[in-house]
Amino acid sequence: MRISLNEIKKLVPAATKVETSELIKLIGARLVEVEGSFDWGEKYKNIFVVKVLSAEAIPETHLHLCQIDAGSEPVQVVCGAPNVHEGMLAAWIKPGAIVPATYDTAEPFEIGARKLRGYDSNGMLAAADELDLGDDHAGIIEINPEMVTDDGRQVAPGMTLAEAFGLDDIILDIENKSLTHRPDCFGLIGFAREVAGILGEKFEEPTIFEMLKRVENGDTDSGVLAETGTLDIQITDQTLCPRYSAAVFEFNDVPKSSKYFTKTAVFLAKAGMRAISPIVDLTNVLMLETGQPLHAFDYDKFKIVGGGEARIIVRTARKGEELTLLDGKVVKLNENDILITSNDRPVALAGAMGGANTEIDDTTKKIILESATFSLYNLRKTQMAHGIFSEAITRFTKGQPASLTLPVLTEAAKRLSLTPVEVADCRPTAKAMAPINLTTAQVNNILGTQYSIDEMTRTLENVGFTVKTDGDNLSVSVPAWRTDVHIPEDVVEEIGRLLGYDNIPLQLPMRPFTGAKQDNLLTLKNNLRDILSDRLNMNEVLTYSFVSSKLQEIVGEDPKDSYAIVNSISPELQRFRQTIAPSLLDKMHDNLKTGFSDFALYEINQITRHSLGLNTENVPEMKTHLAVAMVGDFYDAKNIFNNMMMELGLARPEYHTAEDTPAYYEKSHSAIAKAGDATLGVVGEVKGRVLRALKIEVPVAIFEIDLEELLKAPVRAVVSLKLSKFPTVSRDLTVQVKAEQEFSAIQETIENGLIELIATVEPVSIYQKESETKNLSFHLSFSHPEKTLNSEEISDIMVKIERELTEKFDARVI
Amino acid sequence: MPEKIEEIRQQIKALNAEYAKIKTLPVEERKAFGQKINHQRQALEQQLLAAEAEAEDAAVEPIDITAPGAANKALPKIKRGSKHPLMTELSRLLDIYSRMGFDIIEARQLDDEFHMFESLNFPEGHPARDGYDTFRTEEGFIPPAHTSTMQYRALTRFKSNLDKGGQIAVVIPGRVFRNEDVDATHEHTFYQCEGVFVSKDANMGQMLGVLKQVFEVYYGQELNIKTQPGYFPFTEPSVEMLIEKPKALGGKGDGWLEMLGMGMIHPNVLKTAGIDPTEYRGFAWGGGIDRLAMLKHQLTDVRYFESGKLEFLEKF
Repeated sequence: MRISLNEIKKLVPAATKVETSELIKLIGARLVEVEGSFDWGEKYKNIFVVKVLSAEAIPETHLHLCQIDAGSEPVQVVCGAPNVHEGMLAAWIKPGAIVPATYDTAEPFEIGARKLRGYDSNGMLAAADELDLGDDHAGIIEINPEMVTDDGRQVAPGMTLAEAFGLDDIILDIENKSLTHRPDCFGLIGFAREVAGILGEKFEEPTIFEMLKRVENGDTDSGVLAETGTLDIQITDQTLCPRYSAAVFEFNDVPKSSKYFTKTAVFLAKAGMRAISPIVDLTNVLMLETGQPLHAFDYDKFKIVGGGEARIIVRTARKGEELTLLDGKVVKLNENDILITSNDRPVALAGAMGGANTEIDDTTKKIILESATFSLYNLRKTQMAHGIFSEAITRFTKGQPASLTLPVLTEAAKRLSLTPVEVADCRPTAKAMAPINLTTAQVNNILGTQYSIDEMTRTLENVGFTVKTDGDNLSVSVPAWRTDVHIPEDVVEEIGRLLGYDNIPLQLPMRPFTGAKQDNLLTLKNNLRDILSDRLNMNEVLTYSFVSSKLQEIVGEDPKDSYAIVNSISPELQRFRQTIAPSLLDKMHDNLKTGFSDFALYEINQITRHSLGLNTENVPEMKTHLAVAMVGDFYDAKNIFNNMMMELGLARPEYHTAEDTPAYYEKSHSAIAKAGDATLGVVGEVKGRVLRALKIEVPVAIFEIDLEELLKAPVRAVVSLKLSKFPTVSRDLTVQVKAEQEFSAIQETIENGLIELIATVEPVSIYQKESETKNLSFHLSFSHPEKTLNSEEISDIMVKIERELTEKFDARVI
Repeated sequence: MPEKIEEIRQQIKALNAEYAKIKTLPVEERKAFGQKINHQRQALEQQLLAAEAEAEDAAVEPIDITAPGAANKALPKIKRGSKHPLMTELSRLLDIYSRMGFDIIEARQLDDEFHMFESLNFPEGHPARDGYDTFRTEEGFIPPAHTSTMQYRALTRFKSNLDKGGQIAVVIPGRVFRNEDVDATHEHTFYQCEGVFVSKDANMGQMLGVLKQVFEVYYGQELNIKTQPGYFPFTEPSVEMLIEKPKALGGKGDGWLEMLGMGMIHPNVLKTAGIDPTEYRGFAWGGGIDRLAMLKHQLTDVRYFESGKLEFLEKF
């Protein structure tokens, strides 16, 4: 939303006394985030009101050679607009100035002095679109010589366009999101009321709101339009449309757009809107001022659509109904959409846009002016379903107060200088909201302040609240336009905000001297990251939690077991991942392609799938996994795994033949890792065809473990470590065994043979030249805990081991 | 150089020859003479050591300190791992909270309407729910769009602290998701850290005081803060907190950084969690982690974080 500071200053005189930068700062600190501010004074610099002294057609062109009076010496300009004529007042962009329409763009266009068809042309006479004050490019703007500026001066050649039209302004860009709950601030008046409050000034309510207050107070002489005539309004469900007010106006003459460029066009342009026609402009101006959108129907068309009767029926759309909107778009309606109908025939998509069948045009002599409120819940869905984000629906979806409809309609009549021929108002019986009661202690306790009851009262009353006090108690009546204030905390917010949160003295809470508990999983994750990145040289990655079903199919996961995102951004991000390894494989490919050849990626993150079921809260059970993917084979992964367990201080894992692994593991090159009672996960190589499908041309090994399981793994204990006091003996041992012989059985046998000693058995090599046998070599070092072994004893030990190996495994010692 | 050494050596030799003269001198002069010779010899020996050291230094071949390794040797290959910058920033932050006495629980990545909206005082169908651009699964579960989805759990889980006369002080890091178009400054997947504090006397002054502290520790300097009003259905009053741009990020006391959304916990939120809002008050806050990492490393593209590219990861 865009807010003109000049308009605010008109409503809040005190704001003129505050430095602009300070004012913007205060608005940002106490009302709403100001995303940016645009200095229109700069934007419209060096643009002048000029009088066209002469305009001669240049033969064989559409151009005119003009002499203009810009306040001093006549200037020559070539102008291509068909409406340029002698004696008119126009807007002239002086050489060196930037064309406003290009001002905030990537390529600002600077006007120069140049030759056109051999004639010197200095600057340009501008059309509304070039000035960024309208869409009109049919001709240059013409300024009414009778026009007076806001400070009462008559326009004259040489005056700047900014002076003439009040363009010397700062336009604020307001973040709508932070006003979601403030329908009142979507009107200039509401915004200005807040500015007054921020400056500590009482806001002088304009007539519309004075009227509203009188109505709310039950004054019979409120000044709002009284119902008259026979216009019939029917609302099928009051929750859809809390209030529908309408007035019929008949014009003596069809209201026509002035040939002159108007201040209204400028007013609308400052809000980012465009002048269209006098009636539409009036509805838009009132909406911008009050936040209450209006819509005008052509009365005669309305009657024809309704079959000769002017009856307004508000209802939801029926399945299959369609409506052609003002912008020509045909919308297929759904049962949530609210429709305005003429005797049951759709004429407008309520709150969003009018229908083409009742559009006002150059011949319209009679209009129905609608001022209504609709269910913001329905409109929100309408907005999403049809992608309509008009200024009107933006306001309606904030929940405009029902009390505002008739006062705004009354103001419209005043501005049209017409008495409506018919007025109808369909509204619920108003129920007054009970005052909110709270104490000064409540306010100061929540804020951490020491504001007095007078400060609180004044602050609230400045912005339209009525406050009764009794000792330390406040009884706060909420003005009708504040649909967001319901509970004492809402009132506290008003006081804190308007007096400035930044004035609250900072404190620190007193804390009991208890330590925060360590979360085991969090500690494990931190330790893992230290180990995997810092000691095992892996790269930590984060990949999306959503994957494509294509990837799942490639790796052999059942996409149906995944939670599917119904509104995913792309098919690539459709399913919640079941495991992390496939995401890593995807990234392996990317990195291999860019030239990395030897690396290991890991990620710690959450996974879920249908088959894990729901937990006690009835939400999907989730697990935290660690997944590792590396260039290498099973043994590389296994070594990393062992090292990781070692660094974590956990028991050395045992590897079991993998029976049930995720489909992407090459089963015979994979193992289930267990430690104690904990089944940690699968370590293994990725299937060749999975790698091929992912265009990975190197072997890749992976493991993925459930961290909750890892927490169950027993701690590695160094049991009764003894260091040797006597000489250590070293022996190498190589045995030839059958090719299919399990390595671990041989190593265990050797270790058992040394069990009484202080010994280490280190595998040295596995050598397989023929297909039937392989040679396993070990390096043994051992010493006796109590004596020096003599050669006979050493020989006995070795012989015993060798015999064992030969007998048990048919091994041959080499 | 060697000539100089040789010269000194000759001088020492000559001096040594002088010793023979001692015997020829009268007894009473011998002592003084001996001392003089000794003195001269010591001086020469000093000179010799210095000259030798100088010669040795001069003989050392200079190396190219700008080269990655010595000539004719295999260049050293250093393989190092890396931690993800987002996780690194998050750990730092959690470490600060932890030292301040906050418990930590992690946010889940798939949740339901109740935790994401209802328990947070979002009326059903309210447009405020739109602001979160949530994803949904076929079953109606929601990959949470904010870590506030854990507030109800944090409040109920640590409620017993209040019964024991203590406080609830929890922070909740987590991965969150928003259905928005991805560009250099928008990601559909990012990280947040939430905080919840409840006690008998919590107030806005404390809220701003505590969070100012957090950022002061995080950036290692005193910082000015300011606020702007915000709107969240689950806090009342609500504000956004900005910090002065810290020196570490090139701040010169002029710029401001929007860091957190926060506010006093709405009484309905406390009530839903079974905490009596007339007896206890609380404040809650949340902010993005991606932003902290982007500011720190002057990154211009948020998409790098989940790109999985080693070109990026290896820099950290």
